[in-house]
Amino acid sequence: MKNRLKVLRAERDWTQADLAQRLDVSRQTIVAIEKGKYDPSLTLAFKTARLFGQAIEAIFIDETDV
Amino acid sequence: MKDSSSLESRTSHNTKQLALWTGLWLASLALVAFGPTFLWDYHKVITIVLIWVNLFMGYKMIMANKQHLEGLDELQQRIHLEAMALSLGCSMVFGAIYGLLEGVRLIDIAPNPSNILFVMGVTYGIGMLLAHRKYS
Repeated sequence: MKNRLKVLRAERDWTQADLAQRLDVSRQTIVAIEKGKYDPSLTLAFKTARLFGQAIEAIFIDETDV
Repeated sequence: MKDSSSLESRTSHNTKQLALWTGLWLASLALVAFGPTFLWDYHKVITIVLIWVNLFMGYKMIMANKQHLEGLDELQQRIHLEAMALSLGCSMVFGAIYGLLEGVRLIDIAPNPSNILFVMGVTYGIGMLLAHRKYS
């Protein structure tokens, strides 16, 4: 799953640590999500969407074929 | 605890609790192991009381470990889960065959169950390293 986390974070001039603190997760989690190595849970995805004021699908892009 | 504090302070508090109860459990285990020989000359009542104390410390350690895991974020929990899966699987596979070695006369010494704890610890550590590398 792709995501726009890095772009959204950069637009706000936040570091990975800043975003991690706002989402109450570790910096390692932000790194893993940004690199596409880890897909967040629905709870964390909703929390991220709320933080950036956007819809989930505007941040996380599902690439799997159904 | 999870909702009221930041990840950092929560993890710090839970890690200290886990270290405290693990230390107390280990100390009580050492007392049960060496106390009868060196301190109270195999007095049964004292040994039985110490065994109950050890079991209580073990319970508190298990609960502290559970709280520690619940306080982590979702990726950290997954890393621990993967490490536990490796540790449990290896301990079961190696433990089962290790228990048979004496019976099939490949070794002369009786297998010591505490060796499985060693396997569990080492494989848990390896599992943590592998999972951290996978997600970094």
